[in-house]
Amino acid sequence: MKPHRRKKLTIIGFIATGLAVAIGLSLYALSNTIDLFFTPSQVAAGEVADGQRIRIGGMVKEGSVEQSQDSLHVEFIATDYSHDLQVRYDGILPDLFREGQGVVVEGAVTNGVFEASRVLAKHDENYMSVEVKAALDAAERERTLPGVATEGGASGT
Amino acid sequence: MWQWFYRMGSPKWFYEMSGKWLPWLYVLMTVLMSVGIVWALLFVPQDYQQGNTIRIMYVHVPVASISLACFPLMAVAGVITLVWKMKLADMVAKCAAPIGAWFTAVALATGAIWGQPIWGTWWAWDARLTSMLIQFFLLIGVIALRSAIESPDDSARASALLAIVGAINVPIIKYSVEWWNTLHQPASNFSMDNESAFGPEIWVPLVIMIFAVYCFFVISLILSTRNEILRRERRAQWVQDIVAGEKV
Repeated sequence: MKPHRRKKLTIIGFIATGLAVAIGLSLYALSNTIDLFFTPSQVAAGEVADGQRIRIGGMVKEGSVEQSQDSLHVEFIATDYSHDLQVRYDGILPDLFREGQGVVVEGAVTNGVFEASRVLAKHDENYMSVEVKAALDAAERERTLPGVATEGGASGT
Repeated sequence: MWQWFYRMGSPKWFYEMSGKWLPWLYVLMTVLMSVGIVWALLFVPQDYQQGNTIRIMYVHVPVASISLACFPLMAVAGVITLVWKMKLADMVAKCAAPIGAWFTAVALATGAIWGQPIWGTWWAWDARLTSMLIQFFLLIGVIALRSAIESPDDSARASALLAIVGAINVPIIKYSVEWWNTLHQPASNFSMDNESAFGPEIWVPLVIMIFAVYCFFVISLILSTRNEILRRERRAQWVQDIVAGEKV
């Protein structure tokens, strides 16, 4: 490689590395604001002021969903498995909303309860066919309840 | 080694070789695309949570991953342009920008169409979606910068530099779902086991679609670059010969 080309390449290398480091540092410094949501643990630790509009993310706790019979009002607990947060919401839930499923909720904390204005469903990176899920569930039931035979059926919720 | 490198940089050589590659690429793309689309749309089982919506993945993931590959390609071409002043590298970089912008736009659009039924929103300002939008704007910026500068040498240099700088965004897009918490799920882990999550019955057609869309990208890039070669080298004897030959 000719010297003037080597020199140019070095300069480009320096510029690119310098910029990458600068951007990396700013992103690291900003990581709190880049995060889409707070976790229930962060809320419990008092990182969020009362009434401040935020998003929280977590799992819908199994058995915690209470749907009102005559309105769209719904209450559930969002959890990150170390802290829980009670959520109240009036509105239409996304199709994927269900117990044990991830959610991102927009709203504000008032007196320890999260008043939600919007609920989004978060799904994970695991894709499975209906049949495989049913088979896995059946195997799981077999394992947890020995002696109780389960015959296929019931698809995963 | 350098000799080979310089020969490859000759527009004439590229024009002749790519003319030979194209028919094979057409065949390969047609086969992969028809197998992939039919498999993905008709034979992939429904997802246990998302049902038929899962099929959007077979367009979204290939398009998004290739839009991510396009930017580093432009950056490498940019380095070659700046250091070796190779004409062909600049032509490829110029032609890749609009194609990459379209791929990014389609990835954003299919992502929104997927997000609406599954997440409950078309758009969220999470790190993955936002960094992808930034890539779209960067590509628009590269295109705009190139056409804004009159002198071909200066515009080549300026857009090469912007492409190199902009490529820093690519790892940010890739790892955004791991570094920050986002609405977008992390990348799936391929599993060889059909009885587990993301098994072969789901990812084999996805891999076929990724190769098919790669072929489409390469074909688009080659056709566009060939056009650019003819335009820029129109005063060269070998181009004049081709034009004379076509007229007959």
